[in-house]
Amino acid sequence: MERPLGLAVLILLGCFYLVALFADFISPYTPPDQSLQKTYHPPTALFWENGRLHVQRYELADPDDMVYRKIEGEGAPVRFFARGHDYRLMGLIPTDRHLFLVDEPDRIYLLGSDETGRDNFSRLLYGARISLSIGLVGIAIIMVFGFLAGGLAGYFGGIWDNLTMRFIELVMAVPGLYLLLVLRGTFPDELSPGQTFFLIVIILSFLAWGGTARIIRGMTLSLRNRQFVMAAEVLGQSPLKIVGKHILPNVFSYLVVAASLSIPAFILGEAALSFLGLGIQEPSASWGLMLSQAQDMKVFMLNFWWLLLPGAAIFVTVIAFNVLGDVFRDIVDPKQKFLNR
Amino acid sequence: MGIKHWAYRYQAGGIALLVLLGGCSAEIESVREEAPVPEDIERVARDPGRQGDIFTGTSAGTPATFNPLVAEDATSTEAIARLLDGLTRFDPVKEEVVPGLAKSWDVSEDSKTFTFHLRRGVRWSDGEPFTADDVVFTFKAIYDERYPNRKQMEFRAGGEPFEVEKIDDHTVRFTTAEIFAPFLLYIGTEILPRHKLIDAFADGTLMRQWTISTASRTPEQIVGTGPFRIRSFRPAQRMIYEPNPHYWRADREDARLPYVDFFIERFVQDQNASMVAFASGQSDHQGITPDQAGWIRRNAERHDYTVHDRGPSTSTSFIWFNQNPGTNENGTPFVEPHKLEWFTNQTFRQAVSYGIDRQGLIDGVIFGRGEPLWSSVSPANTQWYNPDVRTYPYDPEKALALLEEVGFRKENGRLYDEHGNRVTFSLITNEDNRLRANMATVFMENMKDLGIEVRLRLIDFSNFVNRISESFNYEAGLLGFTGGRDPHGGTSIYSSGGRLHVWHPNQPEPATEWEARIDELMQKQLRTLDEEERREYFNEVQSIMSEQLPLIYLITPNIHEGLRNRWRNIDPPDMGTLIWNLDEIWAEQRLLP
Repeated sequence: MERPLGLAVLILLGCFYLVALFADFISPYTPPDQSLQKTYHPPTALFWENGRLHVQRYELADPDDMVYRKIEGEGAPVRFFARGHDYRLMGLIPTDRHLFLVDEPDRIYLLGSDETGRDNFSRLLYGARISLSIGLVGIAIIMVFGFLAGGLAGYFGGIWDNLTMRFIELVMAVPGLYLLLVLRGTFPDELSPGQTFFLIVIILSFLAWGGTARIIRGMTLSLRNRQFVMAAEVLGQSPLKIVGKHILPNVFSYLVVAASLSIPAFILGEAALSFLGLGIQEPSASWGLMLSQAQDMKVFMLNFWWLLLPGAAIFVTVIAFNVLGDVFRDIVDPKQKFLNR
Repeated sequence: MGIKHWAYRYQAGGIALLVLLGGCSAEIESVREEAPVPEDIERVARDPGRQGDIFTGTSAGTPATFNPLVAEDATSTEAIARLLDGLTRFDPVKEEVVPGLAKSWDVSEDSKTFTFHLRRGVRWSDGEPFTADDVVFTFKAIYDERYPNRKQMEFRAGGEPFEVEKIDDHTVRFTTAEIFAPFLLYIGTEILPRHKLIDAFADGTLMRQWTISTASRTPEQIVGTGPFRIRSFRPAQRMIYEPNPHYWRADREDARLPYVDFFIERFVQDQNASMVAFASGQSDHQGITPDQAGWIRRNAERHDYTVHDRGPSTSTSFIWFNQNPGTNENGTPFVEPHKLEWFTNQTFRQAVSYGIDRQGLIDGVIFGRGEPLWSSVSPANTQWYNPDVRTYPYDPEKALALLEEVGFRKENGRLYDEHGNRVTFSLITNEDNRLRANMATVFMENMKDLGIEVRLRLIDFSNFVNRISESFNYEAGLLGFTGGRDPHGGTSIYSSGGRLHVWHPNQPEPATEWEARIDELMQKQLRTLDEEERREYFNEVQSIMSEQLPLIYLITPNIHEGLRNRWRNIDPPDMGTLIWNLDEIWAEQRLLP
């Protein structure tokens, strides 16, 4: 509680993940759901009338520039916990209840619509699932492999150390982008875009754990010569137990900090890959893909500003994770710990 | 970053300009050369204008070569067309073939022999005379087996190359083995300068001539008979053309064409950058995609330009199903048998076509600036377009009724065939085309309404081409062609043996009766020079295609072109660019005094 900033970003990120988890409940539409009569629709206004929340109705005033004008006094009531499309809540409970909906043909666009009239708000939420989980999957793989390989190599040293380090160099030498380009062509059609993308992330993580492994190895090398480790050895504890019980806790603080700092790298990486067409594909949604679709002069010239919101989402999330990482570092500064012991 | 006109001064014979190109500080100075007017000069019918001024354009691509035998991409062929002319030209306003380097021609009784009378006194841009030897040399180069090129296969009648014979220095005779309908159109191919290229031709290096490094180091080596020659070329930066002093066209007052002193093309990163440059008054002409036309029009008054709506484009877009009944080397069929059954069912394809909301796609995605497409020929091609083909307006109920007629049934929002198989297929297309991706997602949603599940896969272009033309490992595809003018250009699409007969290419024998009929009609239209008769045959081809729907056509966007208002002698054709007659246009209002 001494660090209000840390708490704030923790709550913010918690909200993001919660929203992503309940995306299908909160969002009124599915990501591919189109409405060709309402493309490039601005965010719809809401008003209160007869004790109910209403969504403003619009008409297309200028089809040349897709300018919509409010029809004064006309609106459709927003229905809460209404029945919409089917889905499974958290992947388990089949239901068709949604937080809010309006009756067709009216549509509620909290954050506007895109070039085929898809709801930007729904796509942002569904996109959050991919963009936010990418980092977790990535660091999980990197940390587990980095820790195991680095820790064991550092502890045993000698030939094992040598072999592991050479192997890591081999893995790090594989050019990731080119590997992806080749792999993308070989994935079968049966994989859904989401599966393809997770496969890509897993491959990238398998190429990226080397750096972490090296740092862990360095820390282990210095730790294993300390007295408490030697004492444990003299007492006859097994190597695995020593690594797990004495060495791991000492490098754990590093892991937490490194993890929270490398999640943003994965989120940005997803954005970059989708931007290049290697990541998530139509009609699925991810923040990077949505941003790449907004890369068009007319978005700026005709002021379709809501299409740039995924960029804001990426920005906020990345900043939040970085702040969180800094706060963690302040709390568990490994250097400080070594000196105090 | 505009072009600033730094200074100007008069010199004997012409204007000299010092032009400072923003940023690259390249000063160019030019005295407009004037060579004596040749004997057979063409005097254009349009009102005379004034020489001078600069025409600026921007281009999102850089030419890859200046060698007509090598060029495959649009940017290169457009650049080459400014430098080299052919025996005939096509006038897009009159929609007929008009004289080019040949002032006239005679056609023999059997329509197989054409005798061309070349203009006398025409010179290449380096001053060497142009003769029949150049024509003979050009066709020798095209047909030479050492130099594989696109025209080698195109310039054949009944599989035989055209016979070329020099009668005298200014007469050439062509003989075709069979009647070849588009002969006069095709013979307008660029004539190459023999005196420049004969050595390279002899030692086998012809394909390595006239590269972009030739253009940037020694532009004077690239000589032509076209309106322009290269003044300087900097890859990825800009290219400056200057008038060819020996050009064979002049106006009524004997002023040499082209009127402009310079034609400058700036190379920019992408189409977005190119359109921004035009909208901020930095270029004279720009092709504009329909979704961008609105905001570009807003600046029209400030920068004194007009955005012209040029009507439907010639490009087509279509979805098709893989109807190839073959198997791969492991014996696995390209398409699962029960799916092949749907795909080869005409009613199934028609139902799919009724299920596509083309008008919605046009109104929503391209701001209402487009036309639904019902045939292989876009309405832009007024010469060959058949307006009476069968159309499939959006009608999901009719689509379902048709599907039920042939045994499909919809249960719980899902469509099943008569054997109980869920109707689902994957659709592939290339990933770098935004409009195409939008068409694909709209198609997916439309099919969902019919209970058909479509899985969309966007793949890179080379992989896409491989799958549709080599491995045939796909179910449905979405593609587009840029439409050519003459029906013969589409032979490899329509003919059952064609490479681009994508739904079932390279058939040794036509698989169906209607494909056999199309083969026959395509042969017939090629064997007559009577355009009315050809149109009759080709209209039937379009009718059969729209009835059988091997290709389900989608939409064609309207073309928009932006042009500064100061240019005169603009004569918009039905099809093709506004500035097709770049050599004849001149500026009323000068940027330079």
